[in-house]
Amino acid sequence: MQTRAAAGEGARRYTSALGAMKSGGTIIGFILLVAVFGMMRPEVFLTFGNLRNVLEQVAILAIIASVQTVVMVVGNFDLSVGATASLSGAVVAQLLIGGQGIAVAIAGALVVGALVGAVNGYLTAYLKLSAFVATLATMTSVSGLAFIVTDGTTLFGLPQGFMSLGQGRWLGLPIPIFVAIAIAVMVWFVLRNTTIGRRWHAVGGNAEVAKLSGVHVNRVRFLAFVVAGAGAALAGVVLTSRLASATATSGDSYMLLAIAAVFLGMTISKEGTANIGGTLIGVGILGVLSNGLNIIGVSTYVQQFLTGIIIIAAVAFSRLGNKGVS
Amino acid sequence: MSTASQYVLEARDISKHFDGVFALNEVDLQIRTGEIHALLGENGAGKSTLIKVLTGVYAPDSGTMHLEGEGITFKGVSSAHKAGVVALYQELSIVPNVSVAENIVLGDDMPTRAGLVDWKELRRIAREQLDRLNQGQIPVQRMAGRLTPVQQTMVAVARAIAVKAKVLILDEPTAALTDHEIQDLFRVLRNLRAEGVAIVYVSHRLEEVFELCDRATIMRNGRVMTTTDVADTTIREVISTMVGRNQEDLFPTRGIPGASTAVEIHNLSGQRVKDVSLSVKEGEVLGIGGLAGSGRSELLRIIAGAQRHTSGRIVIDGQETNHKSVAAALSHGVALVPEERRSQGVVLSQSIGENIAVGNLTSISKWGLVTRARIKSLASNSIAELQIKSRGPHQTVGQLSGGNQQKVVLAKYLARNPKVLLLDEPTRGIDVGTKSEIYGLIRGLAAKGAAVIVVSSELPELIGLADRIVLMHEGHISGEVSAAGADEEQLLSYCYGRAAS
Repeated sequence: MQTRAAAGEGARRYTSALGAMKSGGTIIGFILLVAVFGMMRPEVFLTFGNLRNVLEQVAILAIIASVQTVVMVVGNFDLSVGATASLSGAVVAQLLIGGQGIAVAIAGALVVGALVGAVNGYLTAYLKLSAFVATLATMTSVSGLAFIVTDGTTLFGLPQGFMSLGQGRWLGLPIPIFVAIAIAVMVWFVLRNTTIGRRWHAVGGNAEVAKLSGVHVNRVRFLAFVVAGAGAALAGVVLTSRLASATATSGDSYMLLAIAAVFLGMTISKEGTANIGGTLIGVGILGVLSNGLNIIGVSTYVQQFLTGIIIIAAVAFSRLGNKGVS
Repeated sequence: MSTASQYVLEARDISKHFDGVFALNEVDLQIRTGEIHALLGENGAGKSTLIKVLTGVYAPDSGTMHLEGEGITFKGVSSAHKAGVVALYQELSIVPNVSVAENIVLGDDMPTRAGLVDWKELRRIAREQLDRLNQGQIPVQRMAGRLTPVQQTMVAVARAIAVKAKVLILDEPTAALTDHEIQDLFRVLRNLRAEGVAIVYVSHRLEEVFELCDRATIMRNGRVMTTTDVADTTIREVISTMVGRNQEDLFPTRGIPGASTAVEIHNLSGQRVKDVSLSVKEGEVLGIGGLAGSGRSELLRIIAGAQRHTSGRIVIDGQETNHKSVAAALSHGVALVPEERRSQGVVLSQSIGENIAVGNLTSISKWGLVTRARIKSLASNSIAELQIKSRGPHQTVGQLSGGNQQKVVLAKYLARNPKVLLLDEPTRGIDVGTKSEIYGLIRGLAAKGAAVIVVSSELPELIGLADRIVLMHEGHISGEVSAAGADEEQLLSYCYGRAAS
């Protein structure tokens, strides 16, 4: 009996080591990526200035990917986050140009984002539309709204005080980095340590089980979309501030990258669920990849091609690992 | 044929262990040509592992297998398939979104003409196989997912005989079937037996085994206890071999119901439920029986707020609540342990702790905050109280046995101290030992003053567990009896809507 127990212990240690290797695969890939670029151009890549650049470049993606994580924990996804960021960025610019105070303008943009999220949530949770269809449709309409708000032009001439949000520094680091960290920490804490976070996990795990456990499934799902909308709006505001201007499409490209980051992060969790730590590593991989390839002089076309390949490689690797363990 | 091949399939000294624990310990199994051979045992006895070894899913650590007298090693499912050993699992037996014909001729044998699928030939082959089973009425062009459960099982059997299976292994094939459909399936299996196909039949329903099977192999703790002719044994003997004790000991002694009424429903109607009134006292266990579709599950779901009622009143502790959501019902102390454990009871990919916590977030949180420590301590208490066999609160529920998963579902609702506990098929697909523990938990809750309503398809379970039994037929209550000394035949006649003679 004792030897059996001991053998069990050993086998368990072995399988958990295997599991760690698999779930660590994405992390190892991230480290390898940094190492490779570091070796190729150490004098450029591994400088404080460049790492700060990377962080600055990924800060806005990190915000959007963090709130996308919430929606994906609930088992849905939101295609409209990029368009919502564009619209909110345009709204804040338009309000500022119209003479509103900075606080009012930002609040207005956030409300717009939350409203878009509420529409997504209502369509998905209460009208039971598929998240794909609902958010694809709102993405299209929101994008249209962004063109209406900007009238198809680039909005600029924003007050200096507003620009410090995206361009200012604190402790030598750009402020958007701190905004991204704050959002990520908030999402991490809420997902882990609050009742709404536990309910999001339960609904994503199995909505019927959650309902029969007394969870108001529709309300919980709705809230996840509202959070995503408001978060995307915040990202849009920071983006406008950083660029000192807004167009109808400035945020659009973040949607696919954010989903890609969450998917990369899902490979880290044993159960394959969305998680904030994984999402941030996904964001890191995408950021380092783009920055490193730039430094070694790879064209943006090739970069885009390679990004797709890397996402496939990571997800496929985690699948293989899964098979091996179970 | 040589003497060695009186057995079509023979496994000798098969051992298999996981994580250092033996799942199979020197197991012998001999299957004769043209017999229906029951494989019996509690969950965790090793039946599933043995089937997986026989069909090439697992390679055994040691031991030998012979097919028609010749030594054989399967390298994966497809090699077992080619050799003629085919298993049908309850859930994965068909591909729902392709036609019946394609399901029957799945894979390499698809007939082609000029490189394209020869649909005419495909349908002809499919029809031929179904005709062999006297199931010619199943339309071969229909999507398989749109068939009834028994028709889906028939299609799976047709596929097995299409690949000329010598040994057909059926794992709980009747779980989703009505009594009438079960008889259809049995007829088909008996015909196959007459054609010389060996059938290994795994089921928890012992009455079926005694009706259908020729021989039985009984397993316990990864070992074969005995192999016997079914005619030479009794259900009681089989159960005591499976669990190592007697059937009477399964049920706890009844308690004495209290004086006050905990739950009353008056003229309740809703989907499938028509004008039902009943009441249950504190400390009382009410059993509800009835055929599938009689409205018994729907009645529970309405009382639990999981389904709307169109008219009638629900009164809890003298207060008319008429709640219309599960959350509202729970807040009035009414909890439902749902029928489908895996799709309604637990989130398989989450831990024991997370599963129990989700039903108790209000009580373990403060200002909307809930710590890991609170979740862990709640789950640890439940694990100790319900004796959930696990590695701890962090273990994923999907890794537990069916019985322990059901205990996790129970734990989630028991932790709320419900005043009214509703249970829908609380022991379906669970081994006898765990069943007995669950009966004890239910009685224990009643002894603390809760009112309990149990829906079950197993009449002996209702008779052994409940104080009082009501039977439902087509949405109405068709009869009520005291459980002590109740007669199964009488209960059955109420289930069919006839007054007892």
